[in-house]
Formats: sequence, C-alpha cells, structure tokens
Amino acid sequence: MDEIDKKIIRILQKDARIPFKHIAKKSSVSRDTINNRFKMMLKNDMISKTTLILDSKKAGDGIFAFIGITTKMSDSDVILEKIKEMPGICSISRAIGEYNIEGIFLGKSMEEMSQAKEQIENVPDVIDVVVEVFVDTPLLCPQNFEFD
Amino acid sequence: MDLDKIDRTIITTLTSDARTPFRKIARDLDVSPDTITNHFEKLKKEGVIIGSTVVLNSEKIGYASIVRFGFKVKPTFSSEILSIVIKIPSIIVATKLMGEFDIMALGVVKDFNHLFSLRDKFVKMPNIEKVDISIWIKTMSLKPEYFII
Repeated sequence: MDEIDKKIIRILQKDARIPFKHIAKKSSVSRDTINNRFKMMLKNDMISKTTLILDSKKAGDGIFAFIGITTKMSDSDVILEKIKEMPGICSISRAIGEYNIEGIFLGKSMEEMSQAKEQIENVPDVIDVVVEVFVDTPLLCPQNFEFD
Repeated sequence: MDLDKIDRTIITTLTSDARTPFRKIARDLDVSPDTITNHFEKLKKEGVIIGSTVVLNSEKIGYASIVRFGFKVKPTFSSEILSIVIKIPSIIVATKLMGEFDIMALGVVKDFNHLFSLRDKFVKMPNIEKVDISIWIKTMSLKPEYFII
C-alpha cells in the first residue's frame, strides 16, 4: 500500500460516495489511476466493501448488547459456529480475557434479546451468559481510524 | 420515520456497495433517478443514514486483532470520557453500557506494543477507575454497517 492508496482510503472513510474525479484532483493523479487503485484494493480484499453508516434505531433495530459467554474447557469453535447462526448476532469472536466468547447482539426488543440469551444458554458446554445493554446508540468512528 | 419500499431498497443496496449509482437503483425499481436522490436526501435529513464509509480488512492492512475495552469510570463522568475515547485513533466503536462496566470500546491493534500503549493511555486518563481488556480472535463481523472494522 502506498501513499496514493492510503489517501484514497482516508477520503472514502469520510465519504464513500465521493466521485473519483474529486479524489483525483486532491491527489494530483488521473481519475483512471484512482479507479484502478480502488478496484485493486477491493480485489486484494484490503477493502471489504463500501457501506452506509446507519442509525440502528431509525433503520429498524433498536437494541444493542454486549454478550460475554463462559464455556467449558472444550472446543469453543464448535460453540462459536452454533452461535454465529443465531438471529440477532451481529459480531462474534473467540476471546482471551474474562470470557471465552464475546459478541454483539442487535435486535428489535428486549424480548428478542432475552430469547437470544436463553438460546445461547441452551447450547451444550455453555456455562454462563452475561448480557450488557448499550445505553446510547454505539458511536462508530471509522473516520477516526488511522493507520500507517 | 416510516420507511417505504424505495427507502429500504436504497439502504440495502448502498449497505453492500455505497458507490452504486442512483440510476442503477432507479432502473431496478422502475422509478426516476430523481426519486432515488430525493429519498436518499430525506433519509439523510431524518438521520436514518448518518454517512457512508469504507470497510477495511484489518488483517490485510497489518492489524493483528480486535480488542474489547471495558471502562469503569467515576460517577457522572461517562459522557465526558466517552467523547474522549471515541476520538482516539484505532478505536472503531464506543458506547455507554448498563452493567459491570460504564463504557465499552472496540479497538483495532497492530501488536502487543500497540495494545499496551493504548492501555497506558486509558489508565492515565483522569476519572477512569478500571480498564478491562479482552482480545478477540477469529472475529466474525456479520453486520459491518454497524461495526466497521
């Protein structure tokens, strides 16, 4: 990744819909160069995609919660695969820390959330599930994410 | 705001590719490009769409893993600390929380040195009483429009 690539990413982080000719002007290279670089970064999977930042409540999903799962000393991957398929799970990960698996739940109501909690508790080898509700809509700050 | 079919199609399409031309969405829905522009502008005005951004593959650009921070802060300071935490580079999500911790943040780190320098920064901040760290491995981000990494 060179300076031009980084510049493209930094501009797109703040506004992914900006026309390439504007980026070209800001970087003093041609529009085609920007286009090619962008396509290459998508192809190399450095950029997964461009997307919208949504207000989850206004877009239809109201409740976010952190989920911390304590499991038996068994194969956490198997448990992870099962939880991944459950509705409302929007991020799930093995963790090194207080819990063995941590994730983020996103749903429409408290009932949905408590159902999801029960569903996780029923997975074999799950010992305990802790849920902590997000009070404010989480603040996303990809535009602050700086990389060298 | 009640979302109609056009609104939902705009959101779904742009969530998977924010650069989709409006005339393409218009063609798919058999409406005029102006209709799409109007709906898009309304969604922005109503705050349903906050903005657009690029989802980076953190591993491919040299970041090793995601770290979850939990902060216990002195009473009444959570809003102030949240506003500081959110501005720190490498933090990608931050929120207030109800439960054991007052604030939770997700960060992307390069290596252990990077993680420790980030931790030191938090520990030195006034009014933070406790910092809990958990390293995420094999993270599956299933809805990156909410958790952009």
